[in-house]
Amino acid sequence: MKQHLGRQSGVQSVEVSLIDGKVNVTPKEDGRIDPGQLLKAVYDSGVSVAEMEVTARGKIIKDSSGSLALQTETNQSFVLTPNEASKGLEPLAGSPAMVTVRGQLYKKPAGKKQKPDASAPLKLLLLEVQKKE
Amino acid sequence: MNMKNVALLVLLGSMVVVPAAQAQIKHIEMRVEGMT
Repeated sequence: MKQHLGRQSGVQSVEVSLIDGKVNVTPKEDGRIDPGQLLKAVYDSGVSVAEMEVTARGKIIKDSSGSLALQTETNQSFVLTPNEASKGLEPLAGSPAMVTVRGQLYKKPAGKKQKPDASAPLKLLLLEVQKKE
Repeated sequence: MNMKNVALLVLLGSMVVVPAAQAQIKHIEMRVEGMT
């Protein structure tokens, strides 16, 4: 799995902890990483993902449907699941301000063993707003 | 050297070049099941 993940685009390093079942992925400094592809890559190596969390820096935007989203690249953004933390970021929508957040991008549905759909957009549930600049 | 040039030199000399911090995913952590 470590090798499989390490071959994915934008991945700099992968650390696997067998004791607590955690996999840490560090993206390349200037590379674009696709969490959906990582999710698929883990499943393809025969392991199932229970949860995926990301720390990301980006701008708060409103997408074409009016939903609040975090834009991490020119053409990569994650719609924010509405909660208290996302509500606090609403005034920053469309501004050049950058925010650094930690959030949950994927959680395995209870009782289901199906493979996640890599083409389905991942929603970001904000857990913490670390910095506003 | 006139005052304008001196002021420009001082200004340029005092500037610290800071690379623009990029928007990007900084870290991903997954909790997995079935790993042996």
